[in-house]
Amino acid sequence: MTGGTLRDLVARHRVVISAGSGGVGKTTVAASIGLWGALEGRRTAVLTIDPARRLASSLGLETLGHEPREVAGEIFAAQGLTPKAPLWAMMLDQKGAWDALVDRYAPPDARARILANPFYQHLSQTFAGSQEYMAIEQLCLLVDGGAYDLVVVDTPPTRHALDFLEAPKRIDDFLDRSVVKWFVRPYFSAGWSALRAVNRTASFLLHRLEQATGVSALAEISDFFASMSGLFENFHERIERAYEVLRGPETAFVVVSSPEEQVLDDAEYLAGKMAELRMPLKGVVMNRVHAELRRQKRGGFDPDDEVAVAEVVTRAVGPAAAPPLVENFADYQALARGEQLRMEQFRAGLPKKTPLAVVPNFTRDVHDLASLAAMHTYLFG
Amino acid sequence: VTPVFARRLHFVVGKGGVGKTTVTAALARMLARAGRRTLAIEMETGGRLPAMLGTSASIGTPRQVTPELAVVSIDGRAALEEYLGLVIPVKRLLSTVFASRIYQYFVAAAPGLKELMTVGKVWYETTRQEGSRPLWDAVVVDSPATGHGLQYLRMPQAARETFGAGIVQREAARVVELLQDARTTAVHLVTLAEDMPVTEALEAHAQLTGPLALPGGAMIVNRVHRRRFAADVLTTLERATAAAAGAEQALLHAVADRAVEETSWAVINAQQIERLRAGIPTTPLVELPYLFAEEFGAEEIDVIAHALEEAAALPAARRA
Repeated sequence: MTGGTLRDLVARHRVVISAGSGGVGKTTVAASIGLWGALEGRRTAVLTIDPARRLASSLGLETLGHEPREVAGEIFAAQGLTPKAPLWAMMLDQKGAWDALVDRYAPPDARARILANPFYQHLSQTFAGSQEYMAIEQLCLLVDGGAYDLVVVDTPPTRHALDFLEAPKRIDDFLDRSVVKWFVRPYFSAGWSALRAVNRTASFLLHRLEQATGVSALAEISDFFASMSGLFENFHERIERAYEVLRGPETAFVVVSSPEEQVLDDAEYLAGKMAELRMPLKGVVMNRVHAELRRQKRGGFDPDDEVAVAEVVTRAVGPAAAPPLVENFADYQALARGEQLRMEQFRAGLPKKTPLAVVPNFTRDVHDLASLAAMHTYLFG
Repeated sequence: VTPVFARRLHFVVGKGGVGKTTVTAALARMLARAGRRTLAIEMETGGRLPAMLGTSASIGTPRQVTPELAVVSIDGRAALEEYLGLVIPVKRLLSTVFASRIYQYFVAAAPGLKELMTVGKVWYETTRQEGSRPLWDAVVVDSPATGHGLQYLRMPQAARETFGAGIVQREAARVVELLQDARTTAVHLVTLAEDMPVTEALEAHAQLTGPLALPGGAMIVNRVHRRRFAADVLTTLERATAAAAGAEQALLHAVADRAVEETSWAVINAQQIERLRAGIPTTPLVELPYLFAEEFGAEEIDVIAHALEEAAALPAARRA
């Protein structure tokens, strides 16, 4: 490993964000890094958005709450681990998180109206990026609260994982104050007749849109913004703060990938976009890598020479048992060669000293603390 | 009941990273090879389906790859605009509306409208006629990775129930009718035979056949390891490894490791396939082999297409 190691990287940063496409073991890596933090004596919180409750089970918790929950000492003890600092975990439920935001910031008299507004309900459940945004909002609360030495965030499993990074900007655009103001102007909530006086054509077309789709959206939107106007006053500042945390020197983005072709393509794309957004990746975890037996020295034994391999194996186990073993070995070698090649190409595209940790493809699910700790050998050397 | 692979409309759903797009491509190839005029659809642009079928993306208009196989990508937003253009024939003004912020809010406020239009486009292609018969003998749809791709299939029903009376509601009802018709439609789930993916696949299956009332297709288990090495062979190998030295020892050691690894996976996969069988005993289960390839290309997709072919045992294609 040239330059720093992943160990140095995690030690030097207060926020570690694990990003990557779905199905690469991102949650497991985040949990393992969090566990390492606690074992090393840092008060650590792990924040996940994984609906599969995988993190909860890996931390020995039946469920995760919306508030950080401390992993019980007995659970560590049962697995033979003695953390020097406590470990908390929490899960973000997007609907719950929006409601919490409303509870926290909306004027008391407007709360019930906001929660019952159909547009709010749609928005909180389906607005692209809202889940991601809430994760960042939560992250800022954890960071600014100052109760933790290390906060590890497992990002949502989006296809390009990019939504996460762009979410604050998208929400900011959506809540553009000039447009919001326009919506809360009286003629809007007064309905169509009033709007018609302002702009005949727009009014006509929007009315047809509503008729065609059966969605009486505009009245709802207007009501929504009217109820929430208090909430949005300092929204822009909070979004600025979010980017401050994401781009800050205390934050490290770690991209988790597997050496499969498609997954690596995604990781490469993500790395490029992150640089554009000034949130450069600082470390890579290559998960589920198959081992390759390399030729030990020039002129030495070539493990990819199938005839030579067959000879050795036949001598060892006899001609009947050898062929399937040889075939199996050759298959795994081919797999590993492809992976090595792709990993080298990927690495060549990264800044020179980016730490890259390689975790082998375990033949079992990693879902208890002991196996999370076993991962440390590969992550932190 | 029409066998699942003999139906006309196939949705392929499953979590990210299980090989959904590969299975979609292979299923489309398999159906095309059986002589069916097949359309492969990706429900979001920017996916790998067109490349896997050896072409580049064509948005909105099907592109013929072979005489029997075409591929198209759907862009929900474009489909929505296309649709609104049909309903509100004031073209010049519409483009102003689409560009306006109010319209952006409108789309955000009517969430699912975009998804609904996407499924609507699938419906359109599936029901397209050429003369007196359907234009496509088979339509195979790759779903987005998030949430098993179920949110798209959920949308027509949600729209039928929650949208106020209007044209969209009427069309949603027609789409629902097609999706729920077990003579035409099959929703195939792709999974891996590992603990968490199987749990999630069983949950998705319950969702599909329960609240969504959609006709389940096959449970397609991808990347199944099959080789098992007997304990006595492994013991012999271990002894020989201990007796050997140098490069030969390193080799025998690695050979043994890979044999143990493969056997472990084969055992895990078999256990998880049993769980699937027990959980959904009446669902056809298709196992696809793990492919040890340096690179994944057309050849690998063909291997999977052949495996699907055997499982499907399709009746001879009905041709004009």
